[in-house]
Amino acid sequence: MRHAAGKTRYSLLAWLLLVLLLAACGQPASKATPARPPTGDPFAGLNLVVPKRYEPPIAMNSVITVDATVKFLSGNDIHDNVWTRAYEQLLGIKVNYKWVVDASMYGQKLGLSINSGDVPDMFRVDQAQLRLFQEAGLLADLTAVYEAEASAKTRDVLTQDPISLKAGTLGGKLWGIPLTDASVASASVLWVRQDWLDKLGIAAPTSMADVLEISRRFTEEDPDGNKVNDTIGLCVTKTLWGAIASLQGFFNGYHAYPGIWYERDGKLVYGSVQPEMRPALLALQKMYAQGQIDREFGVKDINQISQTIAQGKCGMEFGVWWNPYHPLNLSQQNNPRAFWSAFPLPSVDATPAKSQYRSAVGAFLVVRNGYKHPEALIRMVNFWTDNIIGSQDDKLRGTFLGNIEAPDVVLYKYTPVVLWEPNAAIKAGNQLRDALAKHDPSGLDLEAQWRYRIIQAYFEQGILEAWVEVATNGPNGAVTVLQQILKDRGLLNRFYGTPTATMAEKMPTLQTMEDVMITKVITGDSIAVFDQFVSDWYRLGGTEIVKEVNLWAESNP
Amino acid sequence: MQKSKQPLMRQSHLPLILLGAVMTGYGLLTALVGRWLSGQAMRGLITPGAYRSQLVAFEQTAGLVAGILLCALFILCAVRSAGSARLAFAIGALASAAPMLVGRAEDLLFRVIGLPTLSAGSVVAGAVTALVFALPMTLLFILLACGRRVPRGCRWLSLASIFVVLATAFFPIYVTVLAFLLKPGDPAVGRMMEVSAQVMKLRFILPGLSLLLLALISMRFARQQPPDEAAKVIEQGGSK
Repeated sequence: MRHAAGKTRYSLLAWLLLVLLLAACGQPASKATPARPPTGDPFAGLNLVVPKRYEPPIAMNSVITVDATVKFLSGNDIHDNVWTRAYEQLLGIKVNYKWVVDASMYGQKLGLSINSGDVPDMFRVDQAQLRLFQEAGLLADLTAVYEAEASAKTRDVLTQDPISLKAGTLGGKLWGIPLTDASVASASVLWVRQDWLDKLGIAAPTSMADVLEISRRFTEEDPDGNKVNDTIGLCVTKTLWGAIASLQGFFNGYHAYPGIWYERDGKLVYGSVQPEMRPALLALQKMYAQGQIDREFGVKDINQISQTIAQGKCGMEFGVWWNPYHPLNLSQQNNPRAFWSAFPLPSVDATPAKSQYRSAVGAFLVVRNGYKHPEALIRMVNFWTDNIIGSQDDKLRGTFLGNIEAPDVVLYKYTPVVLWEPNAAIKAGNQLRDALAKHDPSGLDLEAQWRYRIIQAYFEQGILEAWVEVATNGPNGAVTVLQQILKDRGLLNRFYGTPTATMAEKMPTLQTMEDVMITKVITGDSIAVFDQFVSDWYRLGGTEIVKEVNLWAESNP
Repeated sequence: MQKSKQPLMRQSHLPLILLGAVMTGYGLLTALVGRWLSGQAMRGLITPGAYRSQLVAFEQTAGLVAGILLCALFILCAVRSAGSARLAFAIGALASAAPMLVGRAEDLLFRVIGLPTLSAGSVVAGAVTALVFALPMTLLFILLACGRRVPRGCRWLSLASIFVVLATAFFPIYVTVLAFLLKPGDPAVGRMMEVSAQVMKLRFILPGLSLLLLALISMRFARQQPPDEAAKVIEQGGSK
């Protein structure tokens, strides 16, 4: 008996050790350690594509913005960091930031600097400054150096958006390298509460008639099941336009394209004054009259609409692809099963609807006229595109962008040469969906692998909070809708130049008139208000603007 | 004086075998159906909405059937056993509520009871369901592991099963908290999520297999007793 008791004690001890061992194994493999400034060669071992190095190194004076959110690793600052070291050690370009300001002060500081004759060798400008400085003869012509030096990846990135290079071109010459981003990200998609569709047994919307019917049923058939008539079909903000609960997607369903310029019968026309606006306005008016649009939408901003969504009172909205990250994620506050699905814009007729969007290029990198090495900018751009955009090497990206060990240190903010691949979201989405279909995330980079895990958690562990990633990047998610938009279901604003003279003077007033007119018609005024607006728009400057825009189009085909 | 060992069941072990089989079968079925549906959805063959509605419909039906069967079998096991084993199976019956909660917990917790979701409703609901299963099962195995009349092999297996139940219940919860709250984006946690998805599938299968093994060990023990001793043992159990 004594022997048995001893044996039991040893066994228990063995169990305890086993438990402790398992607990130790349960710890994450790598413990976070504070990042340190690199010692020795920080770029050794990285699989880098490096353009030709300047020997001896050249100097480049530049300027940069740094706001309060920019954080540095210990021992680093804006003048000495991974990017300045890379430019100097790898490219032979010693970048010297002559001044550093908050982003809000950049335009003013640049103006002062240039007025005082102190023009940086390389700097960032907006569309208006590009024209202004080019006309003043301050900028170097980059056409030849771009042709000679741009890498294949740089050319790919700069041509994915059909107008980005055009936007940096004046008089047939390239004066600025566009800082690209995903233009299609601003295209409208239709978001619908999928759990409400399922509950009421409604099929996915394929036409604007379906949208109107869904809106009616969401309003009348108590989809939230609280036995109170407190839901609305369509969320709209008082601002009418933008990325959240806006109306451009609704108008697009009627082939109307408010606020953008597009080609009709060989001429550029302004969408807001075209006849297609009329049936869309009438449909909105009817929805409002039937309580399908919030009676108080005219005073509700995005924060208040977000509240409506959080309370689970809204069933549809026209927004952009990333809306599940905000504000649609809020709808799970009251209902864990809330799930929004993205749909391509339905059409009022047999012709597919097109989502309108604008070019995301708003800034350019330029070189001072007279600077001896204008090609240095192209080499810096090549360094970015070939390594940051062109590589999925996690070590390389961690070195130049930041990593999980110091998540609040965003390294790319230390350089003005930051271009995003316009089709990146679509490419990444395709890779992710392939990995999901094969149940194999091994070919994905770390960020995509994490998305994979989150989507997997939704489908295999029932973590409904992961729906945000499913609805955006998952199978049949919003990114697949973007892909369709990019293919043949989108309409890009054809006018990408600096505002014309009359546009700069009159457009703000005309825009206000337009917003007031739309709100009035939706809330019950006669459609004649639209007709009057069209007439007023042309009379108060629109005719001149149309002429100027078409003149601009002749020189910017 | 050491009390004499008894098999877990008086007379037939069939209720215990059925209990283990139903629990394992339910676990296997939900794992297979879940994997098939998630595979369809991850390949884009069905929409996430269709995936959810089909999964919830299956979970609610299968959970109800399994819950009722498990409850009946636990009660039968309790009736056919004695001493600490009887108490263990009686407490284990509470675990039969878990399958019925799968697919219903969100509605019950946040709509009927009105708890706040804290923007983590499914995680909370999943954790509650896991606890409803894990706590009674843990108590069941603790009682069997501590029962002096329980055959030695059954006690060791019960001891091991305690850890199995706790691990399959709490590891996925731990990983979910890490992934969504404490260390989002951490590659190490990403790998743990992969493991967690598999561990979750074992939540019913492994305890079910433990019950099946307990039945086998107990039957073997009963067969090894001399006929007279066996009759006495059964008699003692019966008069308890």
